[in-house]
Amino acid sequence: MSTIRSSRRPAATTRRTLAAGTILAALALAALGAIGLTACGSSTSSSASPSASTAAGGPITVTDSAGNTVTLQQPAKRIVSLAPANTEIAYAVGAGSKMVAGTTYDDYPAAAKSLPKAGDFSNPSVEKIASFNPDLVLITGGVQAPLRAKLTKLGMNVYIIDPTTYAGVMTDIANVGKLAGTSAEAQKVVDSMKQAQADVQAKVGAAAKKSVFVEIYSKPLMTAGTGTFVSDMVGKAGGTNLGDSAGAGFPNFSSEVLLKDDPAVYIADSGSMSKPGDLSTRPGFSALTAVKDGHVYVIQDDLIARPGPRLALGLQQLAKMIHPEAYTTP
Amino acid sequence: MTRLGRTSVWPGIALAAALLLVCLVLSLVLGPASLSLSQLWHFVTSGPVPGNLENAIFWQIRMPRVLLACLVGAELAVAGVILQDLFLNPLTDPYVTGVSSGAALGATIGIVLHWSGLPWTTMLALVGGLATLGIVWTAARRRGRIDIFVLLLAGVTISYLASAMVTVLMIQGNQDMRAIVYWLMGSFSGRGWGEVQIALVAVPFMIVPLFFTREMDIMLQGEKRALELGVEVERTKRLLLVTAGVLTAIAVSVCGIIGFVGLVVPHIVRLVVGPSHRSLLPVSLLAGAALLGIADLLSRTLIAPNEIPVGVVTTFVGAPLFVYLLRRGRRA
Repeated sequence: MSTIRSSRRPAATTRRTLAAGTILAALALAALGAIGLTACGSSTSSSASPSASTAAGGPITVTDSAGNTVTLQQPAKRIVSLAPANTEIAYAVGAGSKMVAGTTYDDYPAAAKSLPKAGDFSNPSVEKIASFNPDLVLITGGVQAPLRAKLTKLGMNVYIIDPTTYAGVMTDIANVGKLAGTSAEAQKVVDSMKQAQADVQAKVGAAAKKSVFVEIYSKPLMTAGTGTFVSDMVGKAGGTNLGDSAGAGFPNFSSEVLLKDDPAVYIADSGSMSKPGDLSTRPGFSALTAVKDGHVYVIQDDLIARPGPRLALGLQQLAKMIHPEAYTTP
Repeated sequence: MTRLGRTSVWPGIALAAALLLVCLVLSLVLGPASLSLSQLWHFVTSGPVPGNLENAIFWQIRMPRVLLACLVGAELAVAGVILQDLFLNPLTDPYVTGVSSGAALGATIGIVLHWSGLPWTTMLALVGGLATLGIVWTAARRRGRIDIFVLLLAGVTISYLASAMVTVLMIQGNQDMRAIVYWLMGSFSGRGWGEVQIALVAVPFMIVPLFFTREMDIMLQGEKRALELGVEVERTKRLLLVTAGVLTAIAVSVCGIIGFVGLVVPHIVRLVVGPSHRSLLPVSLLAGAALLGIADLLSRTLIAPNEIPVGVVTTFVGAPLFVYLLRRGRRA
């Protein structure tokens, strides 16, 4: 954090403004990741094949989000998770009883809150992780990617959960189930996610696409661009994501362009806005069609930004927001 | 300012004013939805029309943003001139007094609290900045005098303390880290007429120093010499310090911490018009407004619909200009 301090030291300002800006931007990325938006800037192959040999008793081999092969000789018994999303997946696939440590920010399910902590999201301590003697460590990409080498050097098995699409999340859930020896339960989670997607497709698949703006943060205005599952899910829910025009990851978005493009539906994540009425108090926003027609919604950020089983709920909510007419009973 | 009969200051001022005018027109015309000059005239004369998108882009988003960038640029440049000359130190910028760090702490508290209703972040930033000014001031006052060097040290110390507290709040309120980081980087994105109103409060504080240009010229020779020449050093110093502090606090509270402008604009202007404050102050005011106006124009148009942090642009625009002028100045 000394970089922030130095950006205001008189002698350093000239020389270091740029450097400080860069580091601050990196910090901002880290902060993005900390609430679960882990898709930014990572080079992941979302279509990691669920290749696994599940012969009873034999070694288990899967491929993680980053394309690494992970092999366990037997199902994991001691799991450490380094991201709230990973913790959520572990519990969802029925491996909650095998969790030995989580992160400071784990909040779902409630049982995860009382787990011992291996650290916070952006500064996990290798020593602390090792002290739990895990046989599987679930990390994420982005800021945590360099951690993999350190942990594997110590002989730990590391699986990177860093999907960028709805399908990629299902793949990771299935793989974690295999590694934990709870494939059957993982399959149930995946099936329900597939069912949710099929339901949404049946409701809105034939409807004309509507332009949608998703607000991730308000000051400065920030959206979700290409290569994020927000964008992927908006597409599946019958919308075209305006944020895609601003590039990949989570770019800032010009409010002038927002007004010019005038989306039909405006969806804000709950971390950014607590009630839709806030929007009309922003400069110029009262002229937006979505505001005038009342198509402004707030969605809980975990449901669209955290790669886990609850994305199914998020997808259904998005579809209802984008195509309310498809959900009104005839 | 008409009481001067020596070398004329008007050519410099006219040039800077022309530069600012060009910057204003360009900034108002260019954007994702660019306007022709006749459209610009149409929008200006028709005034705000509720419910019309193009009109809202112009009156509710672009206009306040352009005005805010120019006002903040002027405020930081004037504060920079005052503080560089009071501290007799070329590396001084408006942020050495600790005011910006105090404002940052106030803003961070505002962000972490999540209060609604009023623009709490801006208001607490202003309170934090002014409170820091008060603390630093009290620390530097000895037997009725303000010791400039104690003030500088106290400012830097408070700066570190406030930054440490910001860091603690950042780690505690992890979900707000992004908001805090973006605030610290400084931006005009999403600012409207409310912020412009706050920035306008600073206008009298930009004008007051223009009446003390003679005293400021003399004080460049040191406080003792100024006393000998009949300048009321303490009174002038206090007035200028408060002025610079208030200007900085207001500027930082509306847009966060934007570096480089307050440091470099006074230097650039000195190289062009010389050190006499009759020219230096008004030209810096106008040039600061123009530089930050241009920087914000580039920040919002270069990679639209994405935006480049304006502090990065000020540095990219200002640094080459500064180096060029330094080299030219050395040859002359």
